[in-house]
Amino acid sequence: MKQSWSRLARVLSAGAVSLAMVAACSGNSGGGDSTSGGDVTLKINFWGDFGLDELKSKYESANPNVKIVLNTGEYNAQHEDLQKKLIAGNGAPDIAAIDEGFVVQFRGQADKFVNLLDKGAGKYEQNYLPWKWKQTLTPDGKTQIGLGTDVGGLAMCYRTDLFKAAGLPTDRDQVSALWPTWDAFIQTGQQYVAKSGGKKFVDAATNIFNPVLGQQPVGFYDESDTLKMDGGPRVAFDVAAKAIAANLSANLTAFSPEWNAGFVKGNFAVLACPAWMQGHIKNTAPQTEGKWDVAAIPGGGGNWGGSFLTIPKQGKNVDEAYKFLEWLIQPEQQIEIFKQVGNLPSQPALYQDPAIKDFTNPFFSNAPVGQIFSKTAENLTPQYLGKKNGPTRVAVENVLGRLSTGNLKGKPDQAWTEAVKEAEKAATS
Amino acid sequence: MSPTRAAPTAPRPGPAAGPGTDPQRRPSAWRDRWYRFDVRYLPYLLIAPFFLLFAVFGLFPIVFNGIVALRTWRLDDPTLDGWAGGENFSRLLGDGDFWNALYNTFGIFLLSTVPQLLLALVVASLLNRKLRAQTWFRVGVLLPYITPVTASTLIFTVVFARDTGIANWALSLLGIGETEPIDWRASKWASWIAIATMVNWKWIGYNALLYLAAMQSIPRDVYEAAAVDGAGPWRQLWRITVPMIRPVVIFTVVLSTIGGLQLFTEPMLFEPNSAAATGGADGEWQTIAQLIYKVGWRDLNLGYAAAMSWALFLVILIVAAVNALITNRLGGGKR
Repeated sequence: MKQSWSRLARVLSAGAVSLAMVAACSGNSGGGDSTSGGDVTLKINFWGDFGLDELKSKYESANPNVKIVLNTGEYNAQHEDLQKKLIAGNGAPDIAAIDEGFVVQFRGQADKFVNLLDKGAGKYEQNYLPWKWKQTLTPDGKTQIGLGTDVGGLAMCYRTDLFKAAGLPTDRDQVSALWPTWDAFIQTGQQYVAKSGGKKFVDAATNIFNPVLGQQPVGFYDESDTLKMDGGPRVAFDVAAKAIAANLSANLTAFSPEWNAGFVKGNFAVLACPAWMQGHIKNTAPQTEGKWDVAAIPGGGGNWGGSFLTIPKQGKNVDEAYKFLEWLIQPEQQIEIFKQVGNLPSQPALYQDPAIKDFTNPFFSNAPVGQIFSKTAENLTPQYLGKKNGPTRVAVENVLGRLSTGNLKGKPDQAWTEAVKEAEKAATS
Repeated sequence: MSPTRAAPTAPRPGPAAGPGTDPQRRPSAWRDRWYRFDVRYLPYLLIAPFFLLFAVFGLFPIVFNGIVALRTWRLDDPTLDGWAGGENFSRLLGDGDFWNALYNTFGIFLLSTVPQLLLALVVASLLNRKLRAQTWFRVGVLLPYITPVTASTLIFTVVFARDTGIANWALSLLGIGETEPIDWRASKWASWIAIATMVNWKWIGYNALLYLAAMQSIPRDVYEAAAVDGAGPWRQLWRITVPMIRPVVIFTVVLSTIGGLQLFTEPMLFEPNSAAATGGADGEWQTIAQLIYKVGWRDLNLGYAAAMSWALFLVILIVAAVNALITNRLGGGKR
C-alpha cells in the first residue's frame, strides 16, 4: 500500500513536470529586463569575422554594466535564424548583422526592426556612401533598419610565386595592365595554363560570373523585382562560359572545404577579391603569407558583399544596443576593424584618413590595400539585389557547374537556355 | 470489457458517513476503492505522460502542419497569409523538382536498405557462431552507429572527393577511372552510391545486433536436425534463421523504410554548398527531406513546404505498409 502511494506520487509528479515543461515552452519567461539598472548583456549575431573581438573588451571596460556576447555562425544559417526569430516574435539577438544579399527581404519587414531614425541615427547619413545608406532605408524613406559596416569593392588577388613560375609578370601594376578587359584576362589565363603545365588559373567559374555580374548596371532583377536575364546575367554568363571552355577553372565550390584546401595547395593562381576576402585568405592559408598580391579587376569596379547591423524590435535592451551600435560606427572603431580584418568602412570620409590611405597589408606583399579598395568603393554604382537574388544566383551557379563537369559539359548555348529556365523557376519559387 | 465485471457489488458507506460510524470497515473500504482505481485507472495515468507529450510535441505540430499546408504562407512576405485550399497540393503534382526528389529518395533508399539488411543478416549470423573475443566484435559492429552522423558524413565527403579522395584512389588501384577520376557529385548513380555507402556503413551494425538478439533465441537443436538432414550454412540461414526471426526482420524493414525516406543529413552535407540544399548542380541527389528544407527555409515558402511534408508522410505510410506486407510474405507468414 505504502509502495503503491509512492508510485502514484511519482507518476503524478512526472505528469506535473511534463505539464510544467509545456507551460514553460508556451509562456514568455520574460527574463533579462534591464530597466532595473542591472547588468545588460548584448548578444550580437554575425558570420565570419567582423573584427569585434578586441573592440568588445574595449567597450566593456568603458561601460562596466554592459556585457557583450559575440556569436559568429555560418552565413546562411545566421540569416535563416534571424528570419525564424522575427516570425516567432522571440529569441532574436540584440544586434543582428545582415548581408546585402538579404537586405530586401528584411527591409520588407521593417516593422520588426527598431527604426534607427527614431534613435537619432539620421545625423550620420552624410557620413555614409549614399547608396549604402539607401540599401537599408525603406522605399518611403521613413524607416532605417540598419547601419552599414563594410563595403566589398572588388580587386583581383593573385599568387606572385605561381605567376613567376609561369613566366608572367609579378609586379601589381604590370599584372593589372595584363587584363584591362575580361577577354584579356581569359587570354592571360590560357597563357598561365599553357606555361604552368596544365595548372588551373581561377578557383571557379562562378567566381568569374559573380564579379562580372557585379559590374553590370542591372543584375538579376530590376528595381521592380522583375527578372532580367538578358541584360547583365547574359554578359556575365558568357564570360564565365568562355573561361570554362578555355579550361581555366579548378571547379572548386566557393567556401567549400576543397576550396579552402585549394588556397593552401595553390590549386589556382587568381581570385576575385573583395576587401573582406583578405581576412578569409589570411585565416584559411596563413602559410601563404607574402605570396599574394592585389591587382585591379578587369572591367573596372564592382561590388561583392558588405553588411549592415540592425536592432530587432523584440530585444529587451534596445537602447543599450543602439548606444553600442553608435559607438561602433565612429571613425576610430571603423578604422580599427579595417586594420584587424580588412573590412573596408562604408564611410568615404575615412578613406582620406592616413590610417586607411597609407595602410599596406604585409600578408599581400605590402600591397596598398587601403588605397586599392577605397578607390573601387568610391567609384562603384551598386546594383539593386532583388528579394530572390540569393536563390536565383544559386540556380545559375548550378548551371555553370553542370557546364564545367556535368551533363551540359561543352554546350554553352544549351547551358544558357537552361540557366534562364532555372532562374525563372527560382524567381517564382 | 463488461461494465459490471469490476464494479463493486456490495454497497459501501460513502465518506459522508464520517469518522466513527464504523471504524472497523473503513480501511477495507479504502483498500477496495484503491484497488478499483489501481486496476481501472492507474494504467491510463501511467501512460498519460507519453500521450500528453505526444499531443503537444507530436500531434499538434502534425495537425498545425496540415493547416499550414492549406495556406499561402511566405516568410519573406508576411502579407501573404490567406487560405490556399488545395493549391499547394495541386502544385506539388506538377512540380518536376518534387518528382525528381522522390525518384532520388527511392533510388538511394533501395541502394541502401537492401544491401544494408542483407549484410546485417550475414554479419549477425557470423557473430552468432562461436568466436574468440565475441564481445569485442559485437560491440565493434555497433561503433558506426554511435558515431554522430554529421561527423561520419563529413569524413565521407572527404573520402568521395573528386581529386584527392580515398574512394577514387582505391578504384584507381583496380584500374577504374585512372585517367579521369569519378566525379562523385556529377551524376545520379555516382552520388547515390556515395550516399548509400554512408547510410549502409552507419546502420549495418545496428541491424546486425537486432538480428543477433533474435537469433540467440532460436533453439540449437533445430540447426542440429537440419545439419543431420544435410543443410549447409547458407541453406540454414535462409530456411531456418530468417523465418524464425521474421518479426525482427519486419521491424528493421519498417524502421529503415522510415529512416531511408526521411534521409536528410547525408545528402545535405555531401553538397559542397550545403546551405543551398539543391542536392547537386542538377538536383542529382536531392531527397524529399532536403527539398522540404529548401522550399521552407531557402525559398521561404512555408505553405508549400508543409504540403510536401504531408506528401512525404503519406508516401512513407504507404511504402512502410507495402514493405511490411512483402517481408511478411517472404518470410512465409500467413497473415
